[in-house]
Amino acid sequence: MLIDGLLIGGLIIVVGIGFSLCFGVMHIVDFAVGEWVMLGAYTGYIMVRYFGYDPMIYLPIIFLIFCGVGWMIYPLIYRAVSGKRHNPVIMGLVFTFGLSILAKGGALSVWGYHIQSITTWLSGKSISIGVLTIPALRFAGFVFGILVTILFMIFLYKTKFGIIIRATAQDRDTANLLGADVRKIGGLVYSLYAGVTGMSGVLIGTLFSIHAAMGAKYCTLAFFVVVLAGMGYVPGVIIAALVLGLLQSFVGVYIGGRYTLVALFMVMYGVLLITPKGILRRGI
Amino acid sequence: MELQASKAQAVPVPSVWRFTPLGLLLVICLILPWLASPLWIRIATEVLMWAGLAQSWNIIGGYTGYLCFGHGAFFGLGSYVTGLMMVKLGWPFGIGLLFSGILASLLAVIIGYPTLRLRGAYFAIATWAFGEMVRQIATILDVTGGAFGLQLPSFLNLRYFYYVMLAVTGLTYLTTYFLLERARFGYKLLAIREHEEAAEMVGVDTVSIKMKAFALSAFFPGVLGGIYAYWVTYIHPDSVLGAQLTDFMVVMAFLGGIGSLWGPFLGAVVVQLVQRILWLFWGEGTFYLVIIGAAICAVVLFIPNGLIGLMESRFLSPREAVSQLRKTFKW
Repeated sequence: MLIDGLLIGGLIIVVGIGFSLCFGVMHIVDFAVGEWVMLGAYTGYIMVRYFGYDPMIYLPIIFLIFCGVGWMIYPLIYRAVSGKRHNPVIMGLVFTFGLSILAKGGALSVWGYHIQSITTWLSGKSISIGVLTIPALRFAGFVFGILVTILFMIFLYKTKFGIIIRATAQDRDTANLLGADVRKIGGLVYSLYAGVTGMSGVLIGTLFSIHAAMGAKYCTLAFFVVVLAGMGYVPGVIIAALVLGLLQSFVGVYIGGRYTLVALFMVMYGVLLITPKGILRRGI
Repeated sequence: MELQASKAQAVPVPSVWRFTPLGLLLVICLILPWLASPLWIRIATEVLMWAGLAQSWNIIGGYTGYLCFGHGAFFGLGSYVTGLMMVKLGWPFGIGLLFSGILASLLAVIIGYPTLRLRGAYFAIATWAFGEMVRQIATILDVTGGAFGLQLPSFLNLRYFYYVMLAVTGLTYLTTYFLLERARFGYKLLAIREHEEAAEMVGVDTVSIKMKAFALSAFFPGVLGGIYAYWVTYIHPDSVLGAQLTDFMVVMAFLGGIGSLWGPFLGAVVVQLVQRILWLFWGEGTFYLVIIGAAICAVVLFIPNGLIGLMESRFLSPREAVSQLRKTFKW
């Protein structure tokens, strides 16, 4: 149970990092995060259905597709949060909220309420480490999560572009003054975020069922992780995802499965009230 | 900033002609149930309810600038309080309604005190978490009937509910007009929305004003929730506390134009009619969500003042529209 929570945590970390970076760089809270996961899962499902082969080989293609979609949507978001608006943060929030309604409605209209799933060559197999037996697919998801996180960290901490992104996340205006093209960086971050989230959507689709209203669940998890980590503080996401896994297993075992969501929302609300900058007090 | 403030102050002197459209609307609202078929009375009742809900959201979201994504919780609380009072205690409907409103306000004061210290996105996420929490609690508790819902005594009189809904929604709009458009209270709220520190500097007691606005904006959803519960006679955590409630309040207020008296009304009429007309012609569907989502995106991008703002401003020429688009995408 505990291991289960931690393994799914790997995927949540990936979603959370993109989401957190998005907030840090552009000050946008993306209410459509769950919808990106849902669209990623459906894209994977459609590709497997029409072209065959294993969903794992489509991951890079889906990454590129979603990067492209994010890149095309970004100018609209930029327009929503800039210009002569007297409340840019709220406008951005409502815009992504509109996007999420649009995506959810579109998915419901096209695919309806049917539940789908993707099968891969890993489905049904399991790996045993010592006394533990872990489903291979969950392990693959975990490995994927760790890999993407490490790549993300290398990109953020070792490349020049990553330094610019972090500088922008720390102080947008100063970075802009020092010659960072905030608009371009925002576009890059948003497309990266969309790509990575879509890609983890495929893996989530192989682990759990796919349906048009699945976005809400992942939206909740991503928000929880990012709020706990401190919005905009990327390394905190890893710790917050661990806390999420522990909390879910703990409440599920000791109090009862139906209390898990109540506990999640209570903790989220409590953290926002007590330390809005996250449990590590490092957010913005 | 100055523009917004002066716009609010520059309400022209009321004249007979100014109130003609309003009087016409009132007359239509009053005689509608004697002309329309039961189906249309139901739809009109729904429109009125949503108009009231959108306006009450507008008090905190539009006038004060605090985006509340948990307003559905007050509606749900109202319907459960009225429902439980009528079922378990056997109290009359009217008293249940009053209690619903008062308890919703009380809840708003309790959660508003810590939550209203947060701003912008933080406030939005905190209220969202709170709203979802309330829904989950209602699903778990035994007294609310849990996931099975709650059955109320049925009273099938469409016109009765239409007039009750009309009265409460009318009260919502009157309160907004007299307290927010015509009184110092409203200006204080606008000042908080435009620049909270500056408002505090010039002597606005921001904490208490925000709390009052939040309590006021929670009162009406509580009452409307109570009416809804008695009207549909069966309530369930998903139907009275679901995310779609808050979603629709936000969407209607934004579509019509936030921070204006008639914006939410217009938004509610448009959204609800689009939904119902699609439903009448194509059956139960979800396509209306696509239209509403696209509309809300377009409103944020091109007409931040909403449909009501569109009526006041001039239309863009095709050439200007192209150049605006070009600027957005940097072609």
